[in-house]
Amino acid sequence: MSESMIRVRGLTKRYERGGETLTVLDNLNLEMEEGRFYALMGPSGSGKTTLLNLIGGLDTADSGELVVAGEDVAQLSGADLAAWRAANVGFVFQGFNLIPVLTARENVELPLKLTPLSGAQRRQQAETALKLVGLGDRMDHRPRQLSGGQEQRVAIARAIATDPKLILADEPTGDLDRKSAEQVLDLLGRLNREFKKTILMVTHDPHAAERAQSIVHLDKGQLGRIEHNQPAAAR
Amino acid sequence: MFKLVLRNLLGHPIRSAITAVSVGVALFLVCILTSIITTLQSGLAAASSTRLVVMSSISLFQDIPLSYQERIASVDGIASVVKWQWFGGYYKSQENFFGQFAVDPERMFEVYPEVKVDEATKQKFLTQRNACIVGWQLAAEFPEWQETGKIPLTGALFPHPSGGAWDFELAGIYRSEAANFDNRTMFFRWDLFEETLKGNGDSPGVGVYVMSLDPGADVERIRAEVETMFENGPATVRCDTESEFTRQFLSMLGDIPMFLGWIGAGVLVAILLGAINAMLMAGREQTHDIGILKALGFTDGAAFGVLIAQSLVLCLAGGAFGVGLAALLEEGIALAIGSAFPGFFIETTTYIGAGVASLLVGLAAGAIPAWNALRVNCVEALRAKGA
Ligand SMILES: Nc1ncnc2c1ncn2[C@@H]1O[C@H](COP(=O)(O)OP(=O)(O)OP(=O)(O)O)[C@@H](O)[C@H]1O
Ligand SMILES: [Mg+2]
Repeated sequence: MSESMIRVRGLTKRYERGGETLTVLDNLNLEMEEGRFYALMGPSGSGKTTLLNLIGGLDTADSGELVVAGEDVAQLSGADLAAWRAANVGFVFQGFNLIPVLTARENVELPLKLTPLSGAQRRQQAETALKLVGLGDRMDHRPRQLSGGQEQRVAIARAIATDPKLILADEPTGDLDRKSAEQVLDLLGRLNREFKKTILMVTHDPHAAERAQSIVHLDKGQLGRIEHNQPAAAR
Repeated sequence: MFKLVLRNLLGHPIRSAITAVSVGVALFLVCILTSIITTLQSGLAAASSTRLVVMSSISLFQDIPLSYQERIASVDGIASVVKWQWFGGYYKSQENFFGQFAVDPERMFEVYPEVKVDEATKQKFLTQRNACIVGWQLAAEFPEWQETGKIPLTGALFPHPSGGAWDFELAGIYRSEAANFDNRTMFFRWDLFEETLKGNGDSPGVGVYVMSLDPGADVERIRAEVETMFENGPATVRCDTESEFTRQFLSMLGDIPMFLGWIGAGVLVAILLGAINAMLMAGREQTHDIGILKALGFTDGAAFGVLIAQSLVLCLAGGAFGVGLAALLEEGIALAIGSAFPGFFIETTTYIGAGVASLLVGLAAGAIPAWNALRVNCVEALRAKGA
């Protein structure tokens, strides 16, 4: 039995919109083990992104308990939450979210600036991460000079640069063609198998979800069924 | 992070250049305007309160009689009296404007010890009737004077009896270290002036008498005594200290210094608004980047820093450009406006003030976008459209 990476108890998130209250996540309970690859599926507007942002400490919940990587994230705020994020979570977004004026290497180095590493060490670590995602020859390119698939791989390199235990990916293949999507999914699978990263990936694509070990379904802020894929599918 | 700051600025080279240059030009202007004011004020500050000036009580442009010199000199406590008359001639063209005065050569040096000449110049000026001395700034404007040693002036107010020019010989250059005495004037000898005019059947009046006092002399008593001495004419006079005289002379400029101050302030405000606008645009474009930084774990303070640093780099670069330009052009400007504002120079405090002003413009222009970056919620910022 593996340790718990994410433990969610009675998590509730509401948005006020024009005087109306919208309950996006309603008293949610969830448990995710360390070292597994999860896919999170559900209809549009079901609260997938909201949940991911809460787990990653980008947003704060209204009530409930949220323990991620051993830390009670719900109790953190401001600079403490930012520091926790930097140390424990790597994000991969649908829109890549690279900084356009920085090169691939500089984008990957960015989160390392929050670590005590020296400039040379940062550079070396960024290069290692870029080589791992197969972009050793594109390090000095700006995002605009890269294809979407390459941009997303730079984003993955940035997510793993600080060696976090947890990687949160929100529709990482949503903007990509089939072939690039496969590359990104292969990469995430490798990070899970070879580097023991816990991965939580939101996706609409059942084919992509097949890559995960478990598929968590979310509907209208409520947890649906959880499927466990055959080990063969994860390869 | 500084790389990010610079890249963002260089990402919009034209906007950055325009903002920096406009801040620079504004600060250059402010330096010049401020220096005009400080130049006027330093002349006033350096003016002596123990030197006395006697002028007609009607106006500065009304002559007083030659015969007054002896009587003024007889007043107890007066060390020396020099008479001045405005010659109002020109060299080659009326556009070459500078002051020329007929003075008593020996007494000139007695009354104005701050006017320095070398010994040879002094001897020549004291002994040769058509000799003259000119300030170093004026000499620099007309280098041919030193080459030929001759300064022919057309007497606009006092035509030469020959119908031609007044031919002066350059005895040498004077240099004044005091702000009240400019370096852009020419002085020639009274005896030549008076003798030459006899050829026209004229005898000159005196513009002003300037007196130096014995040490410890009672300024108020002497002033009163001189004024009452000529109470019954033929020309009534007023006697003021040099500083009072300078103050009144400057007051003829009216509110110009204050007006210049307002122009400077207006230029700064206009440029500040331009810089704020540029930084607001930069802030909007970078909202998405700020979201990324925050998601990666950078603090709100770091987000603030990225934007305020861009504003500061722009405005300080602009400020350095403006101050550098002012320093570079200082001498040229001093020559160009020397006739209106003699002794123009830029004080160190003006440079420091301009540096502080560019710092403040940078802080003020960056404050709003930096504050927005600090406050913006990470998730919302990520939803903003990237640049
Ligand atoms: N900042 C916000 N203010 C108000 N409502 C919000 C806000 N963010 C999200 N919502 C609402 O919360 C609900 C859940 O949004 P969320 O983005 O989590 O859905 P999702 O499952 O990720 O959808 P999709 O598959 O389309 O990305 C939606 O109805 C959305 O309109
Ligand atoms: Mg979503």
